[in-house]
This record gives sequence, C-alpha cells and structure tokens, in this order.
Amino acid sequence: MSSEIKEVAKLQSVNALRKTMDDYFSRLRIATETGNKKIAWCTSVGPAELLYSMGFEVYFPENHGAMLGASKLADKYIPTAVAHGYSPDICSYLTADIGAFLQNETPLQKSGFKSVPKPDILVYNTNQCHEVGDWFMYYAKHFKVPILGVNTPLWINELTPSIINGIANQFKDLVPELEKVATQKFDLEKFRETVRLSHEGCVLWRKVLETAKHKPSPINFFDSAIHMGPIVIMRGTQYAVDYYKILLAELENRIKNNISSIPSEKLRLYWDGMPLWYKLSSMSKLFAGMDTCVVASTYCNSWVFDDLDPKDPFESSAIAYCKLFIVRSDDAKQNVLEKLMIDFSIDGIIYHDAKTCGRNSNNRFGLQNRLNDKNKIPFLEINGDLCDSRCYSEEQSLIAIETFIKQLSSRK
Amino acid sequence: MYRIGIDLGSSFTKGVLVDENNKIIDYHLTRTGFDFNKAAQKIIDKFSVDHEIQYPVFTCGYGREELKIPFVSNSEIIALAKAVFNHYNKKCSIIDIGGQDTKYVTVGETGQVDKFKMNRKCAAGTGSFIEEIAFRLDISAEEFTSFAKQATEETKINSYCTVFAVSEIVGMIKKGSTMPNIILGIYNSVIDRSVELSPVEDFLVITGGIPDNHPLIVDLFKKRFPKCDSPAKSQFLAAYGCVLLN
Repeated sequence: MSSEIKEVAKLQSVNALRKTMDDYFSRLRIATETGNKKIAWCTSVGPAELLYSMGFEVYFPENHGAMLGASKLADKYIPTAVAHGYSPDICSYLTADIGAFLQNETPLQKSGFKSVPKPDILVYNTNQCHEVGDWFMYYAKHFKVPILGVNTPLWINELTPSIINGIANQFKDLVPELEKVATQKFDLEKFRETVRLSHEGCVLWRKVLETAKHKPSPINFFDSAIHMGPIVIMRGTQYAVDYYKILLAELENRIKNNISSIPSEKLRLYWDGMPLWYKLSSMSKLFAGMDTCVVASTYCNSWVFDDLDPKDPFESSAIAYCKLFIVRSDDAKQNVLEKLMIDFSIDGIIYHDAKTCGRNSNNRFGLQNRLNDKNKIPFLEINGDLCDSRCYSEEQSLIAIETFIKQLSSRK
Repeated sequence: MYRIGIDLGSSFTKGVLVDENNKIIDYHLTRTGFDFNKAAQKIIDKFSVDHEIQYPVFTCGYGREELKIPFVSNSEIIALAKAVFNHYNKKCSIIDIGGQDTKYVTVGETGQVDKFKMNRKCAAGTGSFIEEIAFRLDISAEEFTSFAKQATEETKINSYCTVFAVSEIVGMIKKGSTMPNIILGIYNSVIDRSVELSPVEDFLVITGGIPDNHPLIVDLFKKRFPKCDSPAKSQFLAAYGCVLLN
C-alpha cells in the first residue's frame, strides 16, 4: 500500500493558541523574575483551580515533559536522569524533565527563561499515577520547598460517597498549607469562580472534541493533542475559556462548510493511550495519506471535567478528579470506551502501549479483547512510548498500521 | 510475460517468478544488506536471464517502497495471508517467524485477515535470536538441527534478551548441560515467544525463514499443535502473495 502525502487542513486557531500559550509563559516568567506572584507546580490533573484561585501562577512539569518529547529533545535528557538513578522503565516525562533540569536546559530558554520557574510549593494528585509524587519530591528536596499531595485511590469502579468525601477533605486540607505560602488567603467565592471558569472551559473543550462526531471530522487527534494545551495548563482561567470559544467557532464553521480535517476521510479511528510526541506530525500525515482520520482519543477526552460545579466546589472537584478515565477500573473504562466508539462511529482502535506509562496503556489487562468481544471493532496494538523514542520501532509499526488500515478497508 | 513478487525483509530478500497461471516458476533468495534496490535487482537479474519480465514488480517487506524500478507495494501480512489461503483454502492461523519479526495472523473463511499481531520491540523469538546465538556459539543452521535431534531432554532458556540468553547458555554449559539439550531449549524458546502473541486457534500454519532453515521447529510445533503444517519454501509465501493480490 503506497500512502500518498496528503496535507492536513491547518487550523487557523493555531495563531490564537500560540498567543494564549506565549502569554501564559510570559506570566510565569514575570512571576519568576519579579516575584509578583508565587509559583505552584501542579500535576496535569491536579487541583489547578484551587491554586489559581489563591493567586498562584501554576506550572505543569508534565507539559514540560510533553514539550521535550515534541521537540525531540527527550532522548538527549533521559540518559542523564538514568545515570542519576532514575530507571529508564519509569515515566519518560519524569526522566526527560529531570534529565533536562540536571543539564540546566529547557525549551523555555527560547522564551527568555533562565531555567524552569522555581517553585514556591509543589502540589500533586496521584489520580493519574504515583510516580508524580516521586517526581515532585525530587524538586521539593532540590528547592527545599513544601510538597503537598492528594492521594487518590486507584482502580475506582464505583464512585462511592466515602471516596468522594475523602478526596474532598484532602482538597480542603490543602488550604491551610497553601495559605502559608500564598500571598492571599483562601476565598471561597474566588474558588467558586475558578471552578466555574474551569467548568466552562471543560464544556467548551468537550464541544471541541465532539465536533469530531461529524462526518467528515473537522479535527483529528494529532491536532487535538496540540490544542489541548490551554485546558491542561490554564484550566480555571478566562484565558482557556476565551481560546476554546475561538477554536470551537472555527470547527463549527468547518462543519457548516463541510471542511474536513483530512482531505478524504474513509476510515475513522480511535486512539487509546498517550501520543508519541516525537512522531505527532509524521503520524498525522501517515493517517491522512491513508484516508484515515483518528477522530477521538482517551487522552484528549481525559481533560473533560464537566462535573465541576461552583455551588459545591470541593465536592464537585473530588467527583471530577476521581471520574478521570485513568483512575477507573477496567470495567468502568470499558463502559466509557463502548460509548465513545458508538458516538464517534469508530471503525478501528489503536492501542498505544507506552513502555514507560503502564497506567495510560489500556491494553495490558485484557481490556482490548473484552471490548472487542462486545463490539467487534478491530484493534491494533503498537509498542512505543510518549517521550522515549528508543522504545518505538517505526518500520515495524508502519507495517502494522498499513496492514490494519487495509484490514479495515476490506470490511467497509 | 512473467510477474515477480519480492519480499524485501530485514535479513533476506525473497523473490518468486510467477507465470500467467499463477504458478511459481522459480525462487531466489539473497541477503538484503543495506541496499534494497541492489537486493531487488539481484532477484530481477536472476529471473530475467531466461524469462521476459512484466513490470511493475510486486513488493512487500521493509524495503517495499524503496525501489527505483516500477513497483506496487503491499502489506506483507495481507500478502502472506493471501498466499497461505491460496495454498490451503480454509480458515487458519499463521505464525510467521522472520529475521526481525514474528507475526500471528488469523485468516478467515474467505481468506480475509481477521486479526494480526506482531512481536513486541524485541528480537526474542525471531530469526535474529537464533542467528545471534548461532554466531556466538559458532554453530551453523544445519548443525543446529542435527544437534537438536540428539537432545535427551530440554534445557530451558529463560532470558527474554538475546544477549543475556547467550550468557545464560554459557552458564549452562559450565554447569554441564549438553549442546543438543541447550539447542532444543533454544528452539522451544522461539516457539514459546511466538505462541505468546495469541491463543492458537484453528489450523495452524508455520511460515518464514526460520521454519524453512530449522525444520525441527516445525516438528516441535506439531507436537504441541497436532493440526499444524508448514508448506515447502514458506519464506517465499509473502512474495508470492504480492503477485496473487494484484
């Protein structure tokens, strides 16, 4: 099968995205340089709303890890972290990030930073994995700053009141500790407003992703993985809300004018697992060349927290952050996936088994076979990694992907 | 006019010459090396001596898109399934053991690929595993088979890693294991890795360079899976399938 080179229709919103992201980093840089605001480091699905409501500028090391992956720098830094005792088998966001720090290098230096912004406090949530605690602990020890954690139980099947109350109480317990560092006291009304903005941003992000239900889809996963930046790092701010209004309007306009993301959409795929950040662009072209649009993904859908409710900000935050896909049992995950396959008219599923991220690889405990037994949608498993490109065998994967597309085409 | 199918694999390039009745007239095998064009040209030159060749040629494998001559490329998995179904004309599962890849393919009642899986990014269970061990122990493929036939019991090889497997074997020799028993263990290790890809269903067909060059592996498969077969010259099937698909 010869795949033609077909260009993916470029989203005009990318200019607004660039400005939104640049402005975010400018705010962080100014806070670093002037000390006008305290800086909190937060995990990507951590309590960002609480931190923003208390006046912190919030920095997300996972975003930095993705940046290192996408800029193909991770391979340069991972060995340094490994040499310092961090296994190559653990999260490659972590090893790339710590390795870069040890080499005193960061892509942020191009934006005027001397180094990554120095934290005044670090706050993590283990809802995604426990490695984030070890990751943040490295920096807490290095910078001698406080570290706070929300310890969420893994493998949540049913979201019971005891789990919700437990997490809500952990969120509340953060407040007095954060107040010791923050320049302003906790204000419930400000927290409500941040949660409201977060909810609004998440709803807009969900609507963005849902435009891909349309045939042909106006957006693909490889674009979404880039455009998800604001919902990850500016959740709870007006900036994210403003940006997603722009993006949503463009996508709705595309639907109205029948403009598709790829030139010819014949197959619709679902992507499970992390993106291969270092292959985002080539993957995008590869699928477009085979008239295949990856329309939905577990990864991008993970930032839809529409349970957030300003009326009850602590409890609703607990619900939202415990409903997160990655923290659920395989049965609960399967229910989510079954619905997504129907909603997005999926022809096939690709499971990316990321060598260093077991928690984001949903093909390790038989879920792929159970789902296939139920909905008969063919699937393909590819081995790779989010940042460590040494774990990805491109030629082998290309043969598998091409064969899979042929297999699906013959079923149409 | 004769058509050519070429499977440009990681270790070897396999070519078949096919007549108008879809019958294979000739086979040719050459090392792939680093130049796919050179490897393909060797195949074409060999077949061109006595036959008029029809272009494009039909390709699959790692170098399928790299040729400067006119070609039509195919998925080696779809091509393999086509050729195997053409041979047996029934639903089956295929385990193909090549130089870098081990593949499990399920072929449906009408010859369609129902599912497939490839080995993880690791040479364990592939031809490279045996090649590396043979090189390190200085044993030829023929010697491998004759040694294994003398085995009295299997010495189990545990290591996933090809390099560590060699260290493990050296340790076994030190402890008194015999070479025949060790080689039987190596063969079974290859089989163990391949059947990890999927539960074996239906009639099982073993293909690829490894079963062709190490026929005892096929016998060992048959011991485990009585409904099993391996066609002669099975490493040429994907090349043949390329022609049949077009």
